[in-house]
Amino acid sequence: MKHILAVTRKEFLHILRDRSTLFLVLFTPTLLLLFFAYSLTVDIQHVEIAVLDYDRSAASRAFVQQITAGDDLDLYAQVTSFEELDRLLLEGKIKAALIIAPDFSESLMTLRGTPLQVLIDGTEPESGSFAVDHIARRAEAFVTETLGAQLEARGLSAASLEPLDIRVRAWFNPSLKPRNDLVPGLISMVLGMPALSVALAIAHEREHGTLEQLMATPIGRAELLIGKIIPYLLVGLFNVVLMPALAIALFHISLNGSFLLFFALSAVFLFAILSMGVLIGVFMRTQAAALALSFLLIFYPGFFLTGIFFPLASMPEVVRLEAMFLPGTPYATITRGIFLPAVGIDVLWPYVVMLLFQAVVFTAVAALFFRKKLA
Amino acid sequence: MAIIETHALTRTFKKTRAVDSLDLKVERGELFGLIGPDGAGKTTTLRLLAGLLDITEGEATVAGYDLKTRAEAIKKHIGYMAQQFSLYAELTVLENLHFFAEIYDVPPAELAGRTERLLAFAGLTEFKHRRAAHLSGGMQKKLALACTLIHEPEILLLDEPTTGVDPVSRREFWNILTDLHLQGTTIIVSTPYMDEADRCSRVGLMYAGKLVACDSPRALRERLNADVVEVHPADWRAARRVIAALDGVRQVQTYGEALHVLVDHGERRLREITRALKKASITVHSIRLAPPRMEETFIAMIQALTSSPDHPTT
Repeated sequence: MKHILAVTRKEFLHILRDRSTLFLVLFTPTLLLLFFAYSLTVDIQHVEIAVLDYDRSAASRAFVQQITAGDDLDLYAQVTSFEELDRLLLEGKIKAALIIAPDFSESLMTLRGTPLQVLIDGTEPESGSFAVDHIARRAEAFVTETLGAQLEARGLSAASLEPLDIRVRAWFNPSLKPRNDLVPGLISMVLGMPALSVALAIAHEREHGTLEQLMATPIGRAELLIGKIIPYLLVGLFNVVLMPALAIALFHISLNGSFLLFFALSAVFLFAILSMGVLIGVFMRTQAAALALSFLLIFYPGFFLTGIFFPLASMPEVVRLEAMFLPGTPYATITRGIFLPAVGIDVLWPYVVMLLFQAVVFTAVAALFFRKKLA
Repeated sequence: MAIIETHALTRTFKKTRAVDSLDLKVERGELFGLIGPDGAGKTTTLRLLAGLLDITEGEATVAGYDLKTRAEAIKKHIGYMAQQFSLYAELTVLENLHFFAEIYDVPPAELAGRTERLLAFAGLTEFKHRRAAHLSGGMQKKLALACTLIHEPEILLLDEPTTGVDPVSRREFWNILTDLHLQGTTIIVSTPYMDEADRCSRVGLMYAGKLVACDSPRALRERLNADVVEVHPADWRAARRVIAALDGVRQVQTYGEALHVLVDHGERRLREITRALKKASITVHSIRLAPPRMEETFIAMIQALTSSPDHPTT
């Protein structure tokens, strides 16, 4: 116990004395959270489009005016030839183009269906499909409105034209702001960063020869490893408090579940992911190798395998199996569960068991392979 | 019983036998110097004795413990200083010392006294609040030594502790080692400096993983069976050519404008060299006999080993 404290104190002094290390270790998870949350959830607005109007009728002009009215689509240019459209798309000046057929107004009035063509820049499908959705939605409204006016003028009821009204209601995230669901997921990803620090700290000692010196002392293997973990566990817990606070203050996200439960389960997650970091530090000879492997095993899987961005259900069996061994997977479920539907331990316990199992396996393997020998 | 004893101690790395059937016996209280060319196996030997490497073959006991089965038990009794010893750079002198004191379970009651003594001993008292990163190379080595001494070990294993340190710091470091030697600590130190080897009570020469010679520095020099003729000629380049061609000359070393000639028989070769230089009309400012130093002894022994394929244990 005394040895563990000695190692922990030494490690703390080391982190505290070096300003840049202190800053990086302390704030990396939170900074990453802010960075990702802002960059991934900015709403698409002001998509530049061009219009090629072959019809040039009052109806087509009204239609163009309507779709470009709000902040969503901006009319970059009205063009007169397809070549011009093509050039603007190629040059990246516009993300989408709308082509209105010559018989637009005629078709509209005679109820023959109104063909519209939208071209999008496939290199930026996000903006493009946003434009398509927007135009389609507006087109529907426009048609209903115009025809409704026509019908009423002829003494018919416009009610029969009411289009199908589908309302999607998202559970747990009624405003469907992407951040609500994203931020808890992101927290589970960026909280893996202290594991990177601990892997590097162990590789650093090996590289600088201080590990050789420690191996020549009577310190126990577990004492050394646990002593190394503790400071980074505390750093992680600091972020566990800071991140929800910022999420609530900056993104107006509500923590629906219990903060205490979130804190406790985050501690379990940190224990598991830090054991994984230790394992990496034990196996890798240099800091560069430790960093590369940490990215491979901690950071990238956080992105791809925890189900934050890509649903795990859509992945092959092997990958899902692999994901089960990464602490980020159960923890992503836990953070979302606590933040959104406010579930409790009665629902989350299998994930907690999974984390504990991982922590025990990683620690055991690390302690088994970390011998106090140089080769 | 010897405090360190090895029998046919062998350690291989892939195909290299870094330490090859080493038989070494060090008595309590010795200051034992380990010399040999780079790659001879000095570092591997010290790491094996510190329990930092597994033994491939053979046996070894350190402080009465079998190195194969009780490697952890040995660690309380030794102080080991690695070749690239690096301290915790962000910690102060005092914090480094206290860290190792805690790891070695130094009784708190004794901590203050020991720290005080070691700091004074290493000449670091006035720098005790300075970070290790800001110490000079020599001071870092002394702090490293102080850290390995905090638990008052019976045995010190030092791997080239003075490499890369200026001569004054080197002298200070060795004065500390001599003090420890006088207090009865057993010390094994590897060194590339032959003047340091001369300060040891016994020296072991390693070559290709084997201990090829082991004796007191004086005995090693005598066993060399050679003398040094020190010549100070007017034209050392020409003199060097003339002397190198003579019989019985083993090697000629240049020291500035003087030549150190290692010969098999001092009196006789001195006369022959004088005659040969006179014949070549090279003026000689001075010529005299000198005992071979450890440096010449070492080079001569290594040359003898490299020229004969099977290593003679002279």
